[in-house]
Amino acid sequence: MNILRQIGIVSLINFRSIRLRLWRSLVIVVGMACVIGVLLSMLSLTEGMLAAYMKTGDPGRALVVSAGSQSEGNSSIPRDKARLIMDAPGIAKAPDGSPLADPGINSGVPVYRLNGRRAYNILRGFGSKGVMLRPEFHMVSGRMFRSGTRELIVGVSAKSQFKDMNVGDKVILPDGEWPIVGSFTTGDLLDGQLIGDTETVMKAIRRPAYNSILVRLASPSSFSAFKGALTTNPALAVDPMLQTEWYKKISEGFSTFFKVIAYGIGIIMAVGALFGCLNTMYAAVAARGREIATLRAIGYGAFPVAVSVILEAAVLSVTGALIGASIAWALYDGVVGSFGSNVFKLTVSPALIGMAILWAAAVAVLGGFFPSIRAARRPVVEALRAT
Amino acid sequence: MRYLPLIWAAIMRKPTRTVLTLLSVTVAFTLFGLMIGLNATFDMVAEKARADRIFTWPRFGGNGVPVAVARQVAAIPGVKAVTAMNFLPGYVQDPKNQVFVLMVDQNVASVFGDYGVSPEQWNVVWKDRTGIVMSRMQAQRWHKKIGDTFTMISKQIKRADGKTSWDFKVLAIVDDIPQAGNGFIFGNYDYIDKAKPPADQGKVNEVDLLADDPAASSAVAERIDHAFANSATPMQTITEKLARSGNDFGGLDIKKITHGIALAGMFMVLFLTGNGIAESVRERFAEFATLKTIGFTDRAVTIMVVLESALPCIIGAALGVGVAAVLARQIPKLMPPNFGIPLPTISPMVLVWAAASAVVVALLSAALPILRLTRMDIASALSGRT
Repeated sequence: MNILRQIGIVSLINFRSIRLRLWRSLVIVVGMACVIGVLLSMLSLTEGMLAAYMKTGDPGRALVVSAGSQSEGNSSIPRDKARLIMDAPGIAKAPDGSPLADPGINSGVPVYRLNGRRAYNILRGFGSKGVMLRPEFHMVSGRMFRSGTRELIVGVSAKSQFKDMNVGDKVILPDGEWPIVGSFTTGDLLDGQLIGDTETVMKAIRRPAYNSILVRLASPSSFSAFKGALTTNPALAVDPMLQTEWYKKISEGFSTFFKVIAYGIGIIMAVGALFGCLNTMYAAVAARGREIATLRAIGYGAFPVAVSVILEAAVLSVTGALIGASIAWALYDGVVGSFGSNVFKLTVSPALIGMAILWAAAVAVLGGFFPSIRAARRPVVEALRAT
Repeated sequence: MRYLPLIWAAIMRKPTRTVLTLLSVTVAFTLFGLMIGLNATFDMVAEKARADRIFTWPRFGGNGVPVAVARQVAAIPGVKAVTAMNFLPGYVQDPKNQVFVLMVDQNVASVFGDYGVSPEQWNVVWKDRTGIVMSRMQAQRWHKKIGDTFTMISKQIKRADGKTSWDFKVLAIVDDIPQAGNGFIFGNYDYIDKAKPPADQGKVNEVDLLADDPAASSAVAERIDHAFANSATPMQTITEKLARSGNDFGGLDIKKITHGIALAGMFMVLFLTGNGIAESVRERFAEFATLKTIGFTDRAVTIMVVLESALPCIIGAALGVGVAAVLARQIPKLMPPNFGIPLPTISPMVLVWAAASAVVVALLSAALPILRLTRMDIASALSGRT
């Protein structure tokens, strides 16, 4: 009889008898559901925030910040340098022939969270090309701010986290109150932010220099020419980066931070679940001692018996993981959350669920291994005599 | 006490089961200890926050405000002492090794007296512009002792000489305090100020102060915001008490998260221990019938089952919290440097909560088996017809 067939038959016997040890078996299911539920709930934050960062980046655009900047807010690009940057080769042209490049502002604005605590939201400045550079930008309600006017527009998600972020509300800037005249969506991080006219905002917050320059590349291959021109120009000390690279760079800090915590907690819980799994599988093997011995006596091999034990653990464990993942998904997937100034949708992605299944399989293999050896090695005669 | 041998026999009936259950419980309580310990740290920080200390900084960020703002703050009624500081952010050798030095002026001791730097130590620092005070945690992180040179790179702060590296001399090392979870480094304001290009000099990033009356500190904070609201330098002011309260971590509710995780861990072991004890009682149903026959009361049987259930829970809880205490101390070594998370504290409250949770888990686990035992029909149980 071939081994696969034997594994199949022994496993079938195992699964049919799960009913008899339902509660015991549920220990594995519940254990894994708790592990994966907690792990994916925590990771949904990192995953969602990373996804929002990555979506904000477009490989067809490049961002220029001052050398060594860790954030747009810390970067500073004086006006004369901005002109040099926007005249560099490799930048796409607007219909009127001018370079498709926009100097931007990125400043914190003190706001209140809905729970009353203080926080900062981000106020961006768009210049005349701000919208043309971002085809993902659409007005949702109200109207666009007029350039040269003290008006702001707000992303559609801001109001889910911060107070006074509706069209008609007013935002306090250093030179007084600015009305919000419209709301927009870009489908990325900007959905949580405020936007105004770069030059007008700079006057209000007394910034003499821009924070960054965003450009559309003439073609994907023109980035090297663009970068080369900026980095070899001794008058400039700037870091040109593909926008995707930039968001990858600035997301590294928080993503490592949250992942270390989430996986740390996940591993501790998984170890607890592993002991539960061992416990259950030892009990299962002991309870089926006689059936296993009978099978061995009529010619079944030790290997199929061992494999079937691990398979049983795996089915229970993966079931638990899927339940845990479903709970995390139902509670958090698509929920708008925020960390710091970032507003984004929490995400329980298929990749996370896939990872959860791998975790469950790993716990099952570790937790089923020793019981499976015990099952396979038990002397047939002794097992048959046992009660 | 006379039941102890019986209980022991019951627990050791299946040693593998007992040991594995104990390990599961231990792990769950390790997690519990870390999570509730983290809460304890936040609570302690909130509690130790000084009611009279107030922070104020430029409302709209930027390069800082003129140092004159500190003098204007000092003139506001109700303000007792004022100190101004500059931030020096940067890294040591590799951008991954982030470090942050608070460059403080000579009034710092009057506002931050509780940071444990003695007047003698400050005097040593003021005599050398490049001198710094490190807390023990930071000194360990960068492997520094008194007299060592500490060099960091800062690309954010421009120096007049165009360099990006800053050399310091470690002149004092002091104990850490709970308010500064990652330790702290104080440097000399004069050093950073004079190193900057003339246009950037005379600016401060933050002004910290003490109120005369702790009860009036919120009012003083409001007064400061108000005084600067329509000036060239609007300020954002918050009392230390408010800044440290509420477990707020970038908008995440730490308390809710840690409680959720601890609860999930408890639910996991509850299911496990509940099953274990139910199984153990089921296997010995006839034995319990015998005990009842020879005169054991329902109460006695109940006590036995509760103790059998409680023993691994309580031992596991004790072990788990112990492991958590050890792990908590290892966290700085396990995590990347300058990881902005405070260390869990295994405070007496954590122990109380762990003990209470262990008892609750034990009681819940024992409840159903006890119900069955007290309702058992002795005759049929003895004959094995259960």
